[in-house]
Amino acid sequence: MNNNQNMRRIIIATVISFIFFIAYDYFVLEPKQKAAAEAAAMEQNKTMQTLSSNTAKKTKINKSILNSKILVTIRAKDFEAKIDEFGRISSFILKQKKFEEKGKDINLVSDKLPKPLEIRFDNPKLNSEAFKVPYSADKTDIVLNGSKKTVILTQNLPGEVVKKIITIYPNGRYDIKVNLSKNAKYFITPGYRPSVAVDRLTVHGSLVKKADDTLDVIKDGDAEQKTVKKAIIAAGFDRYYTTLLFSKKPFEVMISPDNEQNPVLYIVSDSNLNLTGYIGPKYVDTLKSINPSLVDVVQYGVGTFFARNLFLLLDFLHKIVINWGVAIIFLVVIVRLVLFPLTYKGMVSMYKLKELAPKMKEIQLKYKKDPQKLQMHMMKLYKEHGANPLGGCLPLVLQIPIFYGIYKLLLYSIELKGDSFLWIHDLSVMDHYFILPVLMGVSMYFHQRLTPSNFQDKMQEKIFKFLPVIFTFMMATFPAGLVLYWTTNNILSIAQQWFINRVMAAKKAKK
Amino acid sequence: MILKKLLKKPIRFYQYFISPAFGQSCRYYPTCSEYALWEIECDNAFKAFFKSFFRILRCNQLFRGGIDYPVVKKNINPKFGIKKRITYWLVPKGKNKFIVIKAKYE
Repeated sequence: MNNNQNMRRIIIATVISFIFFIAYDYFVLEPKQKAAAEAAAMEQNKTMQTLSSNTAKKTKINKSILNSKILVTIRAKDFEAKIDEFGRISSFILKQKKFEEKGKDINLVSDKLPKPLEIRFDNPKLNSEAFKVPYSADKTDIVLNGSKKTVILTQNLPGEVVKKIITIYPNGRYDIKVNLSKNAKYFITPGYRPSVAVDRLTVHGSLVKKADDTLDVIKDGDAEQKTVKKAIIAAGFDRYYTTLLFSKKPFEVMISPDNEQNPVLYIVSDSNLNLTGYIGPKYVDTLKSINPSLVDVVQYGVGTFFARNLFLLLDFLHKIVINWGVAIIFLVVIVRLVLFPLTYKGMVSMYKLKELAPKMKEIQLKYKKDPQKLQMHMMKLYKEHGANPLGGCLPLVLQIPIFYGIYKLLLYSIELKGDSFLWIHDLSVMDHYFILPVLMGVSMYFHQRLTPSNFQDKMQEKIFKFLPVIFTFMMATFPAGLVLYWTTNNILSIAQQWFINRVMAAKKAKK
Repeated sequence: MILKKLLKKPIRFYQYFISPAFGQSCRYYPTCSEYALWEIECDNAFKAFFKSFFRILRCNQLFRGGIDYPVVKKNINPKFGIKKRITYWLVPKGKNKFIVIKAKYE
């Protein structure tokens, strides 16, 4: 009776907390976000974007630069980029269908300033000139057909000639050389991070990698004014996309917060500069082909280490089996094979256990009413005879980082986005037909039936019975790839248990 | 005290909502999660954490398992005449060392 009440209380508490979160989300968070977006838009209209460093604070930019004229258009198979009259990449549109959001091609250059490759001078006079005098280009239309092409942009300022020599590759990479006729301190930026895939669930912001391989990840909202010396990568990123500048020769980066404390990166220099840049999706392979150290631009939030290594393993499997869903299934098989030596010992001790069966029965009868004592005496028996059929907590605990890593990599990997498997049209989002969660619930139920269990109290037993149902509902909203991992894991466990049972039955029959 | 409470909460949650999903798997009595709870209640939080950590590492097919009660070091100042429910039995084991066994009520 008491337990029943407890059970009811737990269910009610769960339901109430769910409702609370949904309501909170709807009534508090969304209006807040909307308000923030409106405020940001207002700020945009005012367009007094300034660098908040002491010197650069004087830098004022007037309205006209927001609606600047297009100077160069670059067309490639996968993207269309535009460079405006101030020598900045003013838009970068991905043309593949995979990246479409709400039926529209996405633009990786954010509406917010600064735009990629924008140059600001430390000298306020020179700077205001730089945003009045337009650049000139040696070409206005570039079509990339499988090979790189170069465009030279020139800006004639009073007492200064700025040259940007940009070489663009068909995969979104570009090389840029900045040549100045006279040395002057200036800032060049990879641009504001892409604002396409920004949500509360995932990390977005900027990161700086130093020559000594240390990383500085600055999340949106926590930026502070800071300078990093000897950096080799300056990148802004959202969930799936990035815009970055990179050089093997270390440079100095200034991290500057905007009005929402989001980090904006500027590379500081006073002379000629050679950089490599990339705008596009965070494909590990593409980044690796530009430079292996760029792989660090793919951040997975907390637990990046597990997620990245799991991704590399999964990617390796994917290259063999072509499909990500199949790759996940193979990953489960590999994990179970690694744990097999542990399970095998369990199987062997199962044989020994058979001889103990009469004694076990005796104990079970004796302590029928006290599960805790029953457990204790069973353990004692196991220990006396050197047999213990239970798998242990360690193999179970070892699964947790793997599970978490898969969750993270499904969240952040653009490679898995939109990849279909059987009826699932996207492994990185929930299964819309709810087939997989139900399968998981069913497999879990059978797994429970097959494995021995006993309980501390009746309440635990009740929860145990309901657990497949609870998990089915809980997992329904999780990425399908994760549910696939768990379902496969359950099915393999069942198969293994079934195999053991059969072997044992066969042995019994022989005797 | 707050630290101990914070440590105990996730263990309780695990016992009710996660552990049952995998069936019985612990090779010891008391189970690793119970061991951790008893440790936290009878020992200092850091010791409890590390001891439980190593207990979980030991809890696999390469070790025998069986009965393994927490053993704590304690200086006890006896107080008499207090009416209190017994929550743990501390069974002496060497100097200032005690085996911890949880008292059970029906």
